[in-house]
Amino acid sequence: MKLAIVDYGMGNILSLSSALDFIGVNETLFANDHDSLSKADKIILPGVGNFAMAAAKIHELGLDAILNDLVIENNKPILGVCLGMQLLGLSSTESGYNKGLGFIDGISEYFEDKNLKVPHVGCNQVQAHPSSKLLQGLGKNPDFYFTHSYRMTCSTEIGQSMCNYGSDFVAIFECGNISGVQFHPELSQKNGLRLLKNFIDLF
Amino acid sequence: MLRKRLIFALFYSQGNFMQSRNFRLQRVGDINWLERNFKFQKISFSLDELIVLNATKEEKDIVEFADVVKRLVENVFIPVAAGGGIRSLDDADKLFNNGADKIILNSALYEIPELVNQIAEKYGSQSIVASIDYRYIEGNPRVLINDGVRLIDMHLDEYLIKVLATPVGEILLNSIDKDGTGFGFDLNIMNSAIHSINIPLILMGGAGNELHLHEGIELENISAVASGNLFNFIGNGLPNARKYLLEQGCNLPSWGE
Repeated sequence: MKLAIVDYGMGNILSLSSALDFIGVNETLFANDHDSLSKADKIILPGVGNFAMAAAKIHELGLDAILNDLVIENNKPILGVCLGMQLLGLSSTESGYNKGLGFIDGISEYFEDKNLKVPHVGCNQVQAHPSSKLLQGLGKNPDFYFTHSYRMTCSTEIGQSMCNYGSDFVAIFECGNISGVQFHPELSQKNGLRLLKNFIDLF
Repeated sequence: MLRKRLIFALFYSQGNFMQSRNFRLQRVGDINWLERNFKFQKISFSLDELIVLNATKEEKDIVEFADVVKRLVENVFIPVAAGGGIRSLDDADKLFNNGADKIILNSALYEIPELVNQIAEKYGSQSIVASIDYRYIEGNPRVLINDGVRLIDMHLDEYLIKVLATPVGEILLNSIDKDGTGFGFDLNIMNSAIHSINIPLILMGGAGNELHLHEGIELENISAVASGNLFNFIGNGLPNARKYLLEQGCNLPSWGE
């Protein structure tokens, strides 16, 4: 199993790679070129930080075209994590309106509820979609660690498992070979490790 | 439902982990001592987060500290917040690149507030924990920076307004009077403006046993409680405390055994 973590300079990828190492992925590479990414069996798109800045970097590196070719044309499995998940959607309003990769429906907006503490930080429960593969073996309401100020909503069916904070938002989506998680599996103890293992084994 | 968090804090200084009492440091042991006595890789299921602070009173060596963070986070799959002596974006980069998921700013909030914006632009405001140390002077909570040495000319409530106007993601509030005493949290502080802040609040300073943690975590506007008491929670102290909190019905995630 060869797994590629897309390296576009956004955030801490050390804990993600050590989690993959821990669950027995024998080869993890950091890459942002077509050649290296195409050799990987699966791709993880990580991300911490600002959507606008991340989208600009993706464009700058030509990753939009590369990922489109690998994920949309060639059905390579991809898992977006946190900001990486939001980037797979249509758009975000963080630092102005910015387009994502548009692989799935889903838009990201600020938690507007005045009664909420924002960012949404800490463990929260996810309501598992009945056919979720990522949550296999984790029960109906597993806890995961979230930390974000923007959240994705989607009106179409993208295999979404929801989380509630003020209102419902997309915690996980699983749409064929394209999947994403708003939380950080690498910071969610055994639940997160199992989810990563499910991505490796079942996608 | 959003869970509350139980956090353990480590105070590091020049090769050693310290017990802090009213911000005076006592050496306890080096990283090998810590690994023998706390085994974070095994007990991390008892914790929701780890805080690592460089409490060195003299000049803080960020490169050396980043190495310590790197070793601590190995195979620990919970969020780690690190800080102490961050004076530039480059310092923050070093900690993020060595496994910190968030960075903690304290003196920089007051002395170089533009640094908050720089870090937030790159890593997002959710990556920044604003640490505020206070003690009561003539009955009023007053803020101190530079490891509790320098009193600033602002009441805690005023300072909170200033800090909350910058893009920080959480507040870590630490009572110098209670620090390391094991007498319990300063619950009175919840009567100040702190009770109405609209970002997550971590309460620290004084918890010496599971009853104190329970008292703190049940406070309405608290998102997390932290203890850095190496003596009181040695060995199975943390797993036992978490077990107690769960038995009392506290809203913590359950990771199973």
